[in-house]
Amino acid sequence: MILADAPFIVALFDYPFLRYALIAGLIMGFITPLIGSFVIIRRLSFIADTLSHFSLAGLSIGLFLINTIGMDFIGDPLYLAIIASVIGAFIIEILRGYYQNYKEISMPIVMSLGTALSALFISLSGGWNSSIYNFLFGSLLTVGDEYLAIISITTASVLILIIIFYKQIVLVSFDEQYARLVGIKIGRFQFASTLILSLVVSLSIVTVGVLLVSSLMIIPVAAAMKIGKSFRNTMTISIIFSEISVIFGLWISYELDIPPGATIVLINILILVLVVLINKIFVSKRIKQAQKEIQTK
Amino acid sequence: MRVNVTNLTFGYDYRTVLKDLSFKINSGDFLAVIGNNGSGKSTLIKCMLGINKVGPNQIFLDDVDIATYKSFINIGYVPQKFDDFNYEFPITVNEILTASNISNITEDSKLEILDKIGILELQHENINNLSGGQLQRVFIVRSLMNNPKMLILDEPTVGVDRKNVEAFYKTVNELNKDGITIILITHNIHESNANYSHVLSIHNGEGVFQEVERGDDE
Ligand SMILES: Nc1ncnc2c1ncn2[C@@H]1O[C@H](COP(=O)(O)OP(=O)(O)OP(=O)(O)O)[C@@H](O)[C@H]1O
Ligand SMILES: [Mg+2]
Repeated sequence: MILADAPFIVALFDYPFLRYALIAGLIMGFITPLIGSFVIIRRLSFIADTLSHFSLAGLSIGLFLINTIGMDFIGDPLYLAIIASVIGAFIIEILRGYYQNYKEISMPIVMSLGTALSALFISLSGGWNSSIYNFLFGSLLTVGDEYLAIISITTASVLILIIIFYKQIVLVSFDEQYARLVGIKIGRFQFASTLILSLVVSLSIVTVGVLLVSSLMIIPVAAAMKIGKSFRNTMTISIIFSEISVIFGLWISYELDIPPGATIVLINILILVLVVLINKIFVSKRIKQAQKEIQTK
Repeated sequence: MRVNVTNLTFGYDYRTVLKDLSFKINSGDFLAVIGNNGSGKSTLIKCMLGINKVGPNQIFLDDVDIATYKSFINIGYVPQKFDDFNYEFPITVNEILTASNISNITEDSKLEILDKIGILELQHENINNLSGGQLQRVFIVRSLMNNPKMLILDEPTVGVDRKNVEAFYKTVNELNKDGITIILITHNIHESNANYSHVLSIHNGEGVFQEVERGDDE
């Protein structure tokens, strides 16, 4: 990769690939916590991880088909990752219907299938190489026009859907029984949201890699939950945290020449730790304050 | 809303909970449902709301078989337990009520209901910071949104303090006078100032249905 001879800000002007990386990072940093909030409320945090492992199977199959078989027309293995993620989501839904009372069973089944398929096709396509490294830890620094276009369209569409169906989404997420009573079709709804989730998961693989996708969705929201006053407020804070992690993550990754996926997620974790600590200090201060007031009375 | 339950039998897995239960009430009636713990009161209303699935020709609301119902939006329901609600994620009272306002009642009507139930000042509170009784009242407010033709209340005042219990039943009585059918499950029918017109007493899954003299309502 490049050596950090120019400061990050200057480099942003000089190198288009850095600009692309920043824009792509900011777009994904916006949409992932938004989706992540609903995933957390519905207690499905594990689903992102499962789908990302299943996407890896798609990437590996893509690699195999393109490099070993020579099916160059596929272009980017990312397309196969998207398809795999959607298929994985379908399998999860089917299994969830099958094991009504143990819905989470579907996750390890799909995840292990994804991992096994990945291992198989990675070895078939010649074993470890730099593409696989990119799948695992992200390749934000090599994104192109096509990827930017796909994520912009996806993000815009998802945002529009969330705005249109805001009431329904909130009701189904917080209180499924009530949503059912007022006539919202839960099944269809679930299907659509799983589809969107699988799409966003497979797209964020490019940003942070298979291993870190779920942290991109979950950690900023986990931090925001601790200080948010309302639903909107919490979502806004989580997006701000996420964008901070993208900007500083990319910066540090540029300066130190390490994969941005790692730095982005590490900054997210740092924010989470700070929020928890500051929150603790605040609470204990308030209690001490209250005790003092009682004593002076 | 008219309710007609005919020979309703319902059970979970192998145990039959409701046995051949029948009763009929008209629009504007006020039915009190009583019975021991585990007698099947909550089970009955869950059947009426499609939460428990029952076969055709057993429950009719306004002469329509609920087996064909797609939405119960015109019934306000306050469940006995709120287990289904996902707590912990921050959301304010106002936000959850706004999302629940499917039939788009005006902001003013919403505030009016909040005021009636006595939680106007809790509007911007995070749901997770409310006490049990306060939360109960949030769900009572929600049941009154969407212009209900019937209210189904499953021990709605458990955990609500006495002053607010009285105020609550006063409101329920008023709504009933306006023509809204009420079904109230309660354990202390004599303590409440509910002005009911019928009593359904469930014992071991069998029901005794009676019309009673209405009080003058204070
Ligand atoms: N989801 C369920 N699955 C299996 N059995 C159930 C279920 N819900 C209730 N039951 C059983 O059905 C019977 C009736 O329960 P129900 O909740 O209707 O009683 P209830 O009259 O409302 O009692 P309470 O006064 O305690 O609220 C009980 O024996 C209970 O154990
Ligand atoms: Mg009950």
